Amino acid sequence: MSDSHTHPVEALHDAIDGRLDPHERAALDRHLESCAACRREFDVLSRLKRQVGIGTRGVEIAPANLEDELRRVLDAEDRRGAERSGWAEHPNRRRLPWIAAAAAAVLAIALFLVGPRPEATPIPAEVAADFRRLTAGTLPLEVVTSDVAALEQRLATAGLGFTSRVFDFGMMDYRLTGGGRHRVAGTPSALFAYAGPGNLRLLCEMFRGLVSVLPTPVERRSNDDIEFLVYREGDITVVFWQEGEVMCALAADGDPEAAVRLAFAKAVRV
Amino acid sequence: MSSTRTRDERRAQFEQLAMPHARSLYRTAVRSTGRAEDAHDIVQETYLRAYRTFDGFETGTNARAWLFTILYSILANRWRADRTATVEVGVDDLDARFAAALDGAGGDAEQALLTRLESAPEVHRALAALPEAYRAVVLLVDVEELSYEEASAALACPVGTVRSRLARGRRLLFTALSDYARSLRLLPSQPT
Repeated sequence: MSDSHTHPVEALHDAIDGRLDPHERAALDRHLESCAACRREFDVLSRLKRQVGIGTRGVEIAPANLEDELRRVLDAEDRRGAERSGWAEHPNRRRLPWIAAAAAAVLAIALFLVGPRPEATPIPAEVAADFRRLTAGTLPLEVVTSDVAALEQRLATAGLGFTSRVFDFGMMDYRLTGGGRHRVAGTPSALFAYAGPGNLRLLCEMFRGLVSVLPTPVERRSNDDIEFLVYREGDITVVFWQEGEVMCALAADGDPEAAVRLAFAKAVRV
Repeated sequence: MSSTRTRDERRAQFEQLAMPHARSLYRTAVRSTGRAEDAHDIVQETYLRAYRTFDGFETGTNARAWLFTILYSILANRWRADRTATVEVGVDDLDARFAAALDGAGGDAEQALLTRLESAPEVHRALAALPEAYRAVVLLVDVEELSYEEASAALACPVGTVRSRLARGRRLLFTALSDYARSLRLLPSQPT
C-alpha cells in the first residue's frame, strides 16, 4: 500500500466519505475486486471512521451549562457595546478613568501574552502533591466528616458541574476523614480523604477531563474493561481512570499493588 | 446582514445560528488542547470574536464552518505560542507501519479492537497524539462530520490537502490503535 500510483489511496478515502460519483465508484470497485490490500484498507478504515465517530461523539464532555456561560459572555459584550454607544453620545463625560482602566487591561493582556508562563504541573504530580499535603496535615478539607452521605450531599450542591460520588472504602479498612470542593488542573474537583490501617492515607479526586491528556504512565492495567493508568511519584502511587466525562484519581502510599486494587474496587464503567 | 436590525434582533439571530454548534466546538477544542480549562477559554473567545464580527457574516452561508474557522485560528495562534504542548506520534515510515498493522489485524481480533473503540480512552489518547494537521482533519471530518469543503474553509487549506491529510491521519490513528491493542494482547504481536 505504499505506492499511491498503483493503489488509489485517496480515492479509497473519498469512497469512505461517500464522495465518489457512480462512475468513479464503479472504477474503484473494479480495483478492489483485484486488490486485496486496498480492499482490506477500505474495510478497516471504513469501520474505524464509524467507530471513532461513535466513540467520540457519544461521550458528552461539554459542561451542562456551556450555552448559558456563552450567553453570559455575549451579555457582557452587549453591555460593553451599550457603554461605548453611550460615551459616543456624550463626548463631554469624563473618560479618563475608563481610558486608564482600558489601558491597564490592555497592558495586563499584553503581559499575559508575552510574559513568561509557568510550566503547568503534570496532573499526576499535582494529585501526588495534594496527597503529600494531606499526610502533612496542610491540605484544607472543606468538610471534616466520616459520614459518606453527608459529604455526598455537600458536594451535590457545590456547583462542580458534574455528578460526583464519594467512594466508600469501609470494606478495605479505610475510613473517610473529610473532603469537599478542590481544584485539579485548574478545574473544579471533588476531593475525598481517608485514613487506613497502620497510618496509611488515601486521597481520591474526581474532575472533568480526559485521561488521554495524561503523560505516559509507568503501567497500564485493565480490569472489568476499564483502563487504569498507574504513576509513581516517589513513594506515592497515583492511579487514574475515566468515568464518562469525569477523570478519577486515587493516590496512596504503601504497597503500589494495593493502591491499584483499591482503584479496581471503586471504578465504575460508564 | 441588515444594518437596521435592533441590538436584540442581532443577538437573537446570532444565538440562533451559533449556539447549536457550541458543543461541537467545545468537543473539538478539548480534543485539540487536551485541557477542559483551555477549551472553555477558546470556545468563549470563538463566540466573542464571532459575535463582534457578526455584521460581516452573510446570512445563508455556513455558520458551522465559519465558527470552526475562528476556532482554528485561535488554536493556531496558541500552537504557535506553545510548540511543546503535545507529544506527537511520528509519521516516519507510516506506510510500512500501517501495512504491518493491517497485516497483523484480522478476523475476530480486529473486530474486537474496533468494537472496543466505542469506549476505549485510548481512542482519545491516540487522537490527541496525532500531529496537529492530521488530528484537525480527522476531528472535523470523522468526528464532527464536516464536509471536505467545510474542513478546508475551517483550516484555511485546499480541499486536496484535507483529503491527503485525512488519508494519512486515519492510517496513523489505526496504526496507533493497533499498537495499543497489541499491548493489551487484543491483537497478536508483530512478527520479529
